[in-house]
Amino acid sequence: MSEETRKRLSRRKFVALTGGALVASGILAACGDNTATTAPATTAPAATTAASTTAAATTAATSTTAAATSAAATTAAGTTAAATTSAATTAAVTTSAASTGDFITSKSGYKGNLDYWALGYAAGGGNAFSKSSDSAVAAFMKANPDIKVTITGYTPDNAGFAKVVNAVQSGSGVDAFRIPNDSLPTLIQQGAIAPIDDYLTADDKNDILPNLFDLVKVNGKLYAWPLWVPPVGMYMNLDIFKEKGVDLPPKTWTYDDFVAIAKKLTFTRGSDKVYGFSALFDPGGVDSWPFILSDGALPLSSDNKKYTWNTADAYSGLKKVTDLALVHKVTPPDFGTQKQDDLLTAMKNKLQAMWTRPSGDAGTLTQAGLNIDIWPIPLGKSGKPISAGGVGLIAVTPNKDTAKQKAAMDLARYLTSPQVEQDVPGYYLAPGARKSVTVKAPYNKFADIAPNAWITPSIPQWTQIRTLIHPNIQNAVFGKMTPEQALSQPADEINKLLSQS
Amino acid sequence: MADTNITQVNSPAVQSTNPFVLFFRRYGWGYAFVFPSFLAFAVFTFFPVIWAFIISFQDFRPRGGGSWVGLQNYIDAFTTQNGVFVEALQNTVIYAVVTVTANIFIGLFLASLLQPLSNKFQTFFRAAYYLPAVTSAVIIAVTWRWLFNTQWGFLNFLLGLVGAEPVRWLSDPDIALQSIILSTVFTIPAAGVVLFNAAMNSIPKDFYEAADLEGAGPLRKWWSITLPLIKSTTLYVVVLYTIASFEVFEKVYIMVPSGVGNSTQTIVTQIYQTVFSQFRYGVASAQAMVLFVIVVTFAVIQFRFFRTDVEY
Repeated sequence: MSEETRKRLSRRKFVALTGGALVASGILAACGDNTATTAPATTAPAATTAASTTAAATTAATSTTAAATSAAATTAAGTTAAATTSAATTAAVTTSAASTGDFITSKSGYKGNLDYWALGYAAGGGNAFSKSSDSAVAAFMKANPDIKVTITGYTPDNAGFAKVVNAVQSGSGVDAFRIPNDSLPTLIQQGAIAPIDDYLTADDKNDILPNLFDLVKVNGKLYAWPLWVPPVGMYMNLDIFKEKGVDLPPKTWTYDDFVAIAKKLTFTRGSDKVYGFSALFDPGGVDSWPFILSDGALPLSSDNKKYTWNTADAYSGLKKVTDLALVHKVTPPDFGTQKQDDLLTAMKNKLQAMWTRPSGDAGTLTQAGLNIDIWPIPLGKSGKPISAGGVGLIAVTPNKDTAKQKAAMDLARYLTSPQVEQDVPGYYLAPGARKSVTVKAPYNKFADIAPNAWITPSIPQWTQIRTLIHPNIQNAVFGKMTPEQALSQPADEINKLLSQS
Repeated sequence: MADTNITQVNSPAVQSTNPFVLFFRRYGWGYAFVFPSFLAFAVFTFFPVIWAFIISFQDFRPRGGGSWVGLQNYIDAFTTQNGVFVEALQNTVIYAVVTVTANIFIGLFLASLLQPLSNKFQTFFRAAYYLPAVTSAVIIAVTWRWLFNTQWGFLNFLLGLVGAEPVRWLSDPDIALQSIILSTVFTIPAAGVVLFNAAMNSIPKDFYEAADLEGAGPLRKWWSITLPLIKSTTLYVVVLYTIASFEVFEKVYIMVPSGVGNSTQTIVTQIYQTVFSQFRYGVASAQAMVLFVIVVTFAVIQFRFFRTDVEY
C-alpha cells in the first residue's frame, strides 16, 4: 500500500466521521440551553389534518369548551357551581357602566407589524367572527396608522390550540392571541405569556369582573385580558316545537320536564328521524357537563386540591346524561361521538330539537335563518340552572422590544373593551368580561345563564384531568361503564396529579 | 493531452499529502451532488430523531427551564392516563397485523390478475388502482366516515335493504376499531399493486415457458415461480405497510376525532394527545421512542423472514 493510499481518507471513514460529528452536534445542541426556537421534534403528525371548523359562532364556543380556571378556586368555596361566579357575572349582565376612556389609541410609539392569532378566524371574512375581527383590527389600524396588524386564524379544537400553542412556545410570529383559560397555565409556566399588570389602568381594574382576574393570576401577577364568558345554554329549535305542537317550558324547567319534551320531539319525519336532544362530547369540551353538574357536584374541590366527582350527586348527574341515550332513547345513535359539524348540520336541517352548546353558535344558527331560542339548563337537585363554561382571553407574548410589547397590549386591551363593540356592533359573541360591555342578540340570551356557570379550573393539570374524565363519560353513555365506575375510576390518578404543585 | 496530464500530476495540489484534500479531489463532486438531500435528511429527519430521544429523558419546556428526569417519562408513558398507552399499543398491533396481512394478500391478488393482461390494460388498471394513493388521506377518511354514518351512511343503507338493523360502526366501542380496520382493508393498496405488478413483469418469461413444457398449471407457476422471485419486493412492501400501519393517525383522527372511549386510541393518536393536548413533551417523546423501537424490531424480523439470495 502506497503512502498516498494510506493517508487517503476512505469513503467509509469519511461517512463515519461525518455521522459522528452530526450525532455529537445534535447531542450538544440538545443538551445545551433549552431555549430553542423550534418546537420539539416528536413523531406526532402535523395538526393540520384536524377537523375543520364551523363558523364564527364556534369562536366563543371554544373558549368555553376548552376551559380553564376555576373561579371557585379563588373565590370563596361555594357548595354549588352557581355560587362560584354569580356575583361577578351577574354584574356583567346587569351593569352597563360607562365606557372607561379611549381604548383604541396606542401610545406605544411602535411602528411596524403585530401578529394577532384569532380563534375561529378565517381569512377573507369567511364567517361572522372573521368579519367582525377584520373590522375591529381595521379600526385599530386606522386609529394607529403606524401599526399594521396581521390576523392568523386557528380552529377551535385541539389541533387549533396545538397550532397556536406551538407558535407561542416557539417564541416567534405571535404577538397577541386568543386562548381559552384552561390552556393558559401551561403557557405561563413556560414563560410564554407577558404579565399585563403594568398595562392595566385603574379603570380597567374596576371594569373587568374581579373573579376573572383570579383566573389569570399566577404568583400575584395577571397574565391575560379577559374577553368574555361563554356559558353552555340549551338551544331550542323552535320550528320543531311548533311542528309537534309542544309549548316552550318555563325557564325553571326540571330534568323530568326536559325528558318529557325530548320524547315528544323524537319522531320520524318522512325518511328522516328527528331527535329530541344531542350534545358534543369532546376532551376539550364541557357541552355535556351541565347535566352532570346539575345535582350540585363539582369536579374539583374549591381549592382545586381534590377530585370531587366521585360522589352520589355526581353519579346521579351523569346518569341523567346516560339515561337520555340508554333509557329514554331521545338521542341520535351516534350520541357521544358526533362531530361538532354533524350537530350543527342536524340543527340547521331541523333534525335535532335541543342542543347544549356555548353561546357562539347562536349567531351561526340565527344567521342561517334558523328559528331558535336559548333556555337555561334544566334544574337538578341543586335547584339552580347550573351551566358550564370557560373564559375567553387575549394574551400577549413577551417581547424585548418594549414599544412593540406595549402596542400588543394596547391591541389586546382594545379587543377586550366596550369600545370595540361600539365600533363593530356584534363583535361580542358571549357575555363580556367587563361590566361596561353590553352584548346584542342572540348572545344576550346567555346573560342569565352566565351567573350560574361553573368555570373550568385554571390549573396546569387540567389538560390531563379532562382527558382522564372524557373517555369514561363516553363509556358511560355507551353503556360500557356505570356512572359510578366512570366517575370514580380516575379519582386516584387525578388526586395524584392535583397533589403535584 | 499527455502534457496536460503531466502538468496536473506535477502540480503542488496533486502532490498534497493531506488526506482530506486527496479525498475531496477524488470524491468531491459525488458528495456535492448528494449533499442537498443529505442535508435535508439530517435537518428534518436525523436531527429531530436524536433530539426527540434526548427530550424523552427530560422534563422538556420549549422556552427553556427543562430538567433531566432519567427514565421517568418512559414510566409515565405506560402508567399515567389510566394506562391508555398500553391500550393504544394493543390497538395498533391489531390494526397493523390485520391491515398489513390484508394489504399484502389483496396487492398480490390484484397484481396477479393484472400480470397476464396486455400492457395497455395493465397500464390502465395500474393507474386506476393507484388513484387512492394520490387522493388525500383526509378525503378518504371523510368519505369513510360518511359511509359508516349510522343514520344516513351507505353501509347501513345496504343493510337496511336486507332488513338488517343499522350498525353503529363508529360509535360502538366494541366495533369502532374494526370499522377503521375495515376501511383500510377496503382501500386498495395502490403501492402494493404497482410494486408487485412491476416485480412480476420483471421475471424472465423463460421460467414460465419452461414450466409450461413441464405441464405446470397457472397456480403451480404462481406458487413456485412468481412468489419466490418477488420475495425481495414482498419484503419491501411488507416493511412499507408495517411502518405505515404503526403510524396510523389521520384516519383515526378524522373518523373519530373525540375518540370512542379509548377503543380507537393508537400509538400516534396517543402521542398527539400527550404533546398537543397535554403539552407533555418528554412523555410524548418517550412514547415516540417506544414506537421507533417497535417499528425497528418488526422491520428486522421481517428482513430475516423474507430475506432472499435469489437474483435473476
